Amino acid sequence: MLTFAEYLLRGTLAGAVYALLAAPMSMLFATVRTIDFAIGGYALAAAAVAASIDGPQGLVLALATAAACAGLMALIFVALKRFGCDDGIVYALASFGLATAIASVVLWSWGAKSFVRDSNAVFWSIGGIRVAQQGLFNLGVATAVVVALHLVLQHTSLGRMMRASAVNAVGASLAAVPVQAIQTGVYIVGGLLGGLAGLLVLYSAGLDFSAPLGLTLSGFGAAILFGIGSPVRCLFGGIAMGIAQAMASGYFSEAVSAMTPFLFIMVVLSVGRSGAEALAGGRP
Amino acid sequence: MSLVRARPNTFLVILCMLIALPIATRNPVSTDSAALLGIYSLLALSVGLSYGQAGVLTMSQGAFASLGGYAAAIATTKFGVPPFLDLLPAVALPALVAYAVARLVTRLPPLATALLTLSIGSVIAIAIRSAEGITGGYMGLAGIPGLGPIRTPPAYAWLAWAMVAFTVLLYENLVCSAYGRALNVLRHDHARATADGVDPPSLISAAFAISAAIAGAAGWLYAHYISFISPESLDTHLSITALLMAVIGGAEFVLGPILGALVLDSLTRLLPAAELQGFYYGAVLIAILLLARRGLLGLVQAAFARLRTTGDAATETAVTLSAEGSRP
Repeated sequence: MLTFAEYLLRGTLAGAVYALLAAPMSMLFATVRTIDFAIGGYALAAAAVAASIDGPQGLVLALATAAACAGLMALIFVALKRFGCDDGIVYALASFGLATAIASVVLWSWGAKSFVRDSNAVFWSIGGIRVAQQGLFNLGVATAVVVALHLVLQHTSLGRMMRASAVNAVGASLAAVPVQAIQTGVYIVGGLLGGLAGLLVLYSAGLDFSAPLGLTLSGFGAAILFGIGSPVRCLFGGIAMGIAQAMASGYFSEAVSAMTPFLFIMVVLSVGRSGAEALAGGRP
Repeated sequence: MSLVRARPNTFLVILCMLIALPIATRNPVSTDSAALLGIYSLLALSVGLSYGQAGVLTMSQGAFASLGGYAAAIATTKFGVPPFLDLLPAVALPALVAYAVARLVTRLPPLATALLTLSIGSVIAIAIRSAEGITGGYMGLAGIPGLGPIRTPPAYAWLAWAMVAFTVLLYENLVCSAYGRALNVLRHDHARATADGVDPPSLISAAFAISAAIAGAAGWLYAHYISFISPESLDTHLSITALLMAVIGGAEFVLGPILGALVLDSLTRLLPAAELQGFYYGAVLIAILLLARRGLLGLVQAAFARLRTTGDAATETAVTLSAEGSRP
């Protein structure tokens, strides 16, 4: 019983990071109907910078780097729109290109080494289960970010404009909502959150240049598990995925644990339930 | 002459092969490049068929190639199946997996399809890594025998490009057939295709399975050429590279993926560091999406169309002027 509870708790803490990757995906899908494959790349860029520069200025620069990378993606998005492209798959492919480029630049500049920072590992005991303080910090940050996003989306005029852009972009623009500025902003906020997730991973398990794709897919799995439309669902999706991974690792094998995010995506998309209908809708 | 008219793409590939390969196989480095480029072209063609014709944006071709390579390696090293005969499992296994997967994919839009195929590719890669007893795990399988009389790198280069030419011929036959036309309609309008009597799930599944079979054949050739296969040999990175090749060359054109493979491979040689390959691929992909969304061949086609329009307009003006000049 203690083992089960331990997996539950550790999975919850590990899954919190996925929520930070899932929330911007959810927002971007709601407003632009696409996926930013470069989210994992923003996390890697932030982690690489923070691993190289000590102190708070390193963390600030790391987040600025992630935001700058996302800003570049936003520029590509705007340029594609200017060239008459209105296809979510093309934006997604472009973000794939950016993710590949970011990983390559990190490999070229920092090499294939892993980025990991010692978080002065302090462990707490909760009901006899040893838990890293960093894990609780990750959960706290993810919860705070998700709640803040929820409040902004549901209770502010900016959130109303975002929701209006998501539901009907043409109608929103006729009502003087700056749809393109909102979509661009969502890309940049996504970069910041991706960068934040990268920093949390840096101080927890660490990551290397090959991590972006896995991080993106884990975030995507968390985003669609309970429906892609809400940041709060992303938090629960991330936690559920973390728990599933911890259970798979404990009761089965590391291989099954590594497969878990992909299996989640396959099951949710092929079943087309839990709010993923928008993504898993019919072909034209 | 009939081949030139009926199957111009196949003719072009054979012509280029007969001109370029004797030159390329003069030194070992370019021979190796030619053989590997042939294998990459096969993979890119498999993406072209899947994405360009069936509309299934696949990111799992590397995994299918890996399945083909491992099937060949296991059949020859563990069960003593003679080389060439192992092509059958190398092609059949990925095709079967893809057919089963396609049943999930057929109703999904491209974005979801891409994510699903990427996930399937990752699951296959993890399964291969963890099945140590059969696949050798991270260490892979070594000592895969050569293909009978085909032992030297030049022979492999010729075989690779012969397979490319054969695949282009089959691809062109498909595009010109009723099935190809049905796929074309299906890519643009499901409802219309269904109304025309097409069964979308069956057709898309078949196209995806054929594309996986081509990827499996590429993996088979890779395994025999290198005589070693490991999880890193044909990984997710290769799936992405094959997709980029197809998109850059023009996925909807028969020769687009091959052109994309040639362009990417040629320009990669100019890079100052191998680590920057991903940066270069990403930058080229973004540039292509911005400037020529239908790929390089789409750009060429648009240029020809513009020239033709200008030519037609000039002819029309000349006819009008001469008609006006002939008035009394």
